[in-house]
Amino acid sequence: MSVPTQIARKEAGELLLNLRGLVWLSAVSLSLSAFGLLLVSDVELSLLDNAQVVYDMTSIVTALGGLLALVVGTDAVAGERERGSLIPLLLAPVARSEILVGKLGGVLIAWTVMYVLALPYLWAVGSTGQNLLDGMVVLAVLGTPVVLTFGFFGLTLGCWLSSARGALLIGLVGLILSASPLLLGPSLRQSAVGRLFDAVNPFSAAVNAFDAVIIDSQALSVQGGHVLVAYAWLVIAFWFARSGFRQLGR
Amino acid sequence: MKFKTLIILTSLGVLLSAGMAKALTIDLQASRHNPALPQMGDRLSYHTVIRNDGPQTLDGLIVWISLVQVDKGKEQPVDLEDWSAHKAEAKTALMPGQVIETDWPIRLIQSGLYRVVISAATRTGEALVTSPFADFSVRQKPVVESQRVLPVAFGVPLILSLLMIKVWRKGKRRSAGGPRPIRDARSSA
Repeated sequence: MSVPTQIARKEAGELLLNLRGLVWLSAVSLSLSAFGLLLVSDVELSLLDNAQVVYDMTSIVTALGGLLALVVGTDAVAGERERGSLIPLLLAPVARSEILVGKLGGVLIAWTVMYVLALPYLWAVGSTGQNLLDGMVVLAVLGTPVVLTFGFFGLTLGCWLSSARGALLIGLVGLILSASPLLLGPSLRQSAVGRLFDAVNPFSAAVNAFDAVIIDSQALSVQGGHVLVAYAWLVIAFWFARSGFRQLGR
Repeated sequence: MKFKTLIILTSLGVLLSAGMAKALTIDLQASRHNPALPQMGDRLSYHTVIRNDGPQTLDGLIVWISLVQVDKGKEQPVDLEDWSAHKAEAKTALMPGQVIETDWPIRLIQSGLYRVVISAATRTGEALVTSPFADFSVRQKPVVESQRVLPVAFGVPLILSLLMIKVWRKGKRRSAGGPRPIRDARSSA
């Protein structure tokens, strides 16, 4: 087994086989369960709202995924440093790029677990089947780069800052700012500043694509602009993570 | 004298407009393929026959569909944005005796009692021409099915909780066992 795979498995194992990680996954599933139960109790929902709830669920999953990736990414370097295991890892006769790929792989595995966890919830709320499969696909295509971007930025912050808590705090502020389209009303997003923010924000790109595909039944193939923004941020975040990791301890 | 002329001219105008309005007739029929007891998600279709029975050509004809909800306490016009992609039709001129036949498909979004009506206006006519009402009711269909949500909403956290207990017990057993003894190479030999 290659070194990156071993590191990625170790990182993911901490999430799946560790009590702390399972508590986190339980908290995520309880949040999604609470949302599902809230919908069941609402008898005034119209047919249109079924697509709306699938859209809401995909947005919530992306936001929670971003949070998970941020925590895992920050912990991958800043957490290791605080536990005193970072320096031995860096001194091991392994290329840094391999360690980095392993760490980033850990973020990817964590998101994959979360995505799989979200699928039954999506199936449960998308009872009419309206664009349900498309919703699952667009979540994978657009949610993945957004979530990984936050994971990579978390890793970068872990490289830059000596305190894991500080890195996590800054990362959370960035995540909340980026995920603000979920909280802002359409009128605020239509202002000049709102439109500009929407144009460059990866989270906006993802939720706008979710909206277009799930609610407006548009094809995923015409979401090129949104895909471009999301993947451009992923490339930028990867570049920052690589640059930060290279300079670590030097 | 001038006032008298004005009154006569105005009356003539109104009569002419009323005549044009009467010249235009709209017949509205529900499609025979419509479900007898429609529910949310079903599609209905209405067929209109718009005829110019007057002697003059009607210019700038616009025909559109309107929907009103008439449930007690919920009386309101319905925004057709999500209900129909075919909301209006325009024709530059409708010659005397000419007929336009149009189908109006509707997707049923919300449960309730509804009345559909087709209206028409022309460039010069003053009165609005409307079809008779067509009534229909839409049955409620659960948007989110509890038999799908409840097993998932309770099942997934339950599975994770069981997994957590298993991991916690395993960790406890390990810590209770204390540190593993270091094998002495000489004694094993």
